[in-house]
Amino acid sequence: MRLSLLAPALLLAAPALAAPDGASLFANNCSACHQAHGEGIEGAFPKLAGNAFVQGDPKAVAETLLNGRGGMPSFKDQLKDDELSAIISTVRSSWGNTAPPIPPKTFTAIRNGAVPVPAKPTPGH
Amino acid sequence: MDMTRRSFLEGLGQIGGTSLLLAGMEAFGMGIASAQTAPPPLQGGGKGKKVIILGAGVAGLTSAYELGRAGYDVTVIEARSFAGGRSQTARKGFQLTELGGETQTCQFDDGYYINHGPWRIPFHHRSTLHYVKQFGIEVELFNNDNDNSYIYTTQGKGPLARKPLRKMEVAADARGNAAEILAKVTQSGALDKQFGADDKALFLEYLKTEGYLEGKDYAYRGTEGRGWISKPGAGLHPGVPSKPYAFTDVLDSGAWRVLASVSEWDQQRTMFQPKGGMYMIPTGFVTKGGVGDKIRFSTVVEKIRQNGRTVDVSVVDGTGQRSVVSGDYCICTIPLSVLKSIDNGLSAPKQTAMNGAAYAPVGKIGLQMKRRFWEENHWIYGGHIYTDDMDIVSVSLPSTGWLGPKGVLLGYYQFFANAAKVSALTHAQRTDFALSFGEKVFPEYRDSFETSFSVAWHRVKYNLGGWAMWSDESRARDYPVLLEPDDRIYLAGEHLSYIGGWQAGGIESAWMQIAALHKRASVA
Ligand SMILES: Cc1cc2nc3c(=O)[nH]c(=O)nc-3n(C[C@H](O)[C@H](O)[C@H](O)COP(=O)(O)OP(=O)(O)OC[C@H]3O[C@@H](n4cnc5c(N)ncnc54)[C@H](O)[C@@H]3O)c2cc1C
Ligand code: HEC
Repeated sequence: MRLSLLAPALLLAAPALAAPDGASLFANNCSACHQAHGEGIEGAFPKLAGNAFVQGDPKAVAETLLNGRGGMPSFKDQLKDDELSAIISTVRSSWGNTAPPIPPKTFTAIRNGAVPVPAKPTPGH
Repeated sequence: MDMTRRSFLEGLGQIGGTSLLLAGMEAFGMGIASAQTAPPPLQGGGKGKKVIILGAGVAGLTSAYELGRAGYDVTVIEARSFAGGRSQTARKGFQLTELGGETQTCQFDDGYYINHGPWRIPFHHRSTLHYVKQFGIEVELFNNDNDNSYIYTTQGKGPLARKPLRKMEVAADARGNAAEILAKVTQSGALDKQFGADDKALFLEYLKTEGYLEGKDYAYRGTEGRGWISKPGAGLHPGVPSKPYAFTDVLDSGAWRVLASVSEWDQQRTMFQPKGGMYMIPTGFVTKGGVGDKIRFSTVVEKIRQNGRTVDVSVVDGTGQRSVVSGDYCICTIPLSVLKSIDNGLSAPKQTAMNGAAYAPVGKIGLQMKRRFWEENHWIYGGHIYTDDMDIVSVSLPSTGWLGPKGVLLGYYQFFANAAKVSALTHAQRTDFALSFGEKVFPEYRDSFETSFSVAWHRVKYNLGGWAMWSDESRARDYPVLLEPDDRIYLAGEHLSYIGGWQAGGIESAWMQIAALHKRASVA
């Protein structure tokens, strides 16, 4: 059986040096849980569309992305500050959300100098 | 990712000095004896006392079995229609619907399976092995390391990148060349400050053995252990030894990066798996252990309350019927990722502390192959194909059904953002994605493929993640809060252990909490 159903946008790496594309980074990293249009799934993944927390205090939002909480994973070691900034700024201005962008430096400040550690190729449990 | 136990203890020590340190160790069940190897004795029994256990994963099953044996009246509430929680095995007919995903029905041939959750039991998980023995669960060896398997790097450079390399070749060449260089440096006198003459001689001898070095010049020229171009045989076939790769090519390939992966404590041999799948572990509790009668299946916890005398749990069963189950105590093993969004009635500090754990996105896919080409053509029996492609991490060959007709292999096992990314694909897309990697290593891969079963644990209802992860801060700040009971409610599960993401963590956490509960119930 041959299948070629891969949506190219989901698996192609972003071109080097280009500014990170918030929408495709969201599709790659966030949509599996929060769904394609930030609609979420009741009881499991909060809706990001029209969400007051998402549009509120930038520091609290940035902390959630960096450290995770509950079913929300930490993206500290997987995404760079400019990528996180691009994603959340897109989220804060899509699907009826109307909050200003969160700049990369907000993430950098929370990291407090800690550098992202790339995951090592080790099997899990 | 995980703060070490020592630095945690040091943290405690700083807060209140040694006495608090010791008290803390006792409170968290880590006295001098450290990790437990047998269930706690529940002396005096628990006759007439009722305990409600939430969740029938290994933590809930352990609690039910041990408390039940001690005479407690136990009821287990389980949302799923089967016991085991994460300890599940996909075989023909097994169904899974991820949140936001389609319903998959496993189509493997009879007798074939994938452990899409836990799959291996290290030799030092005495608690898991305790129940293997107790319930007479048949186990077989899980091959966690295979010298003849391949390493395939996608991010390396040079002629050896993007090429399947035998692990034995990479291991021998990396060791040999490194030892040769070190031996030459040592001989040149560069380390004379570090070494006396005797030590220097011993060190050179060690390098010679370690790196297969030959001659006065301590040269690495290859070793039998890296394999043969043509194997020794009968008659006039002495064999043709293989030749080492150029060291720069080995270094450039990046293949050496994965060599240390199975040398860690958690991954060392000997490793076991139950015959027939990991589901045999919960099955042992349910059948031999007699816990089955005490479980209310397909019954979902909606609300938890307590009033100083009883714990009252509101549930809804498979027919939509709502009821309240009451007991003197409660052991709640629901993963924190799920418990958080239940109307759990826990105290404010506990609510805050639950936010401290983040759950790992994890993905696996099982691919049924119509023939065991990895054994037939490549002489690979079990073990893992490692890669630095973090969307794949490893392809693992089955440690069961050796030399049989077909087999189910693990096509990927990725984590975190990589798992979140792959899980955005449909099942058919995930399958194609896995095949597109595998065929780079094995030409037979795609054509041998028959049917697949995939899971993204973060999208699995009643789990919402593979396992809990604690940052250094949350391990120190939040974790201890959750180890303390909330009046009559005790939390347990893999998330409340330093063996997180292992069944042993769930079992030993249950041992710790039932001991604490029993101590309190015995004086009450
Ligand atoms: C991909 C993967 C690989 C792993 N590999 C290994 C391995 O090789 N070896 C190993 O030992 N461990 C491994 N683990 C870890 C192991 O599976 C877990 O640590 C262990 O199974 C956790 O047991 P538990 O009882 O704490 O939780 P669970 O098994 O999750 O049990 C919790 C139970 O609560 C139930 N529940 C949830 N919500 C409700 C509700 N509202 N009402 C009623 N019931 C509810 C759930 O259905 C579930 O049965 C792996 C895990 C994963 C995901
Ligand atoms: C594995 C599933 C998963 C993925 C992937 C994921 N999230 Fe989440 N996210 C969650 C869950 C679950 C919560 C709720 C956390 C909690 O409070 O327990 C959450 C919470 C949040 C919140 C806070 C919302 C609130 O109302 O408190 C934000 C913001 C957020 N996510 C953004 C993102 C972004 C941006 C990405 C991608 C970079 C992402 N998430 C990826 C599962 C996920």
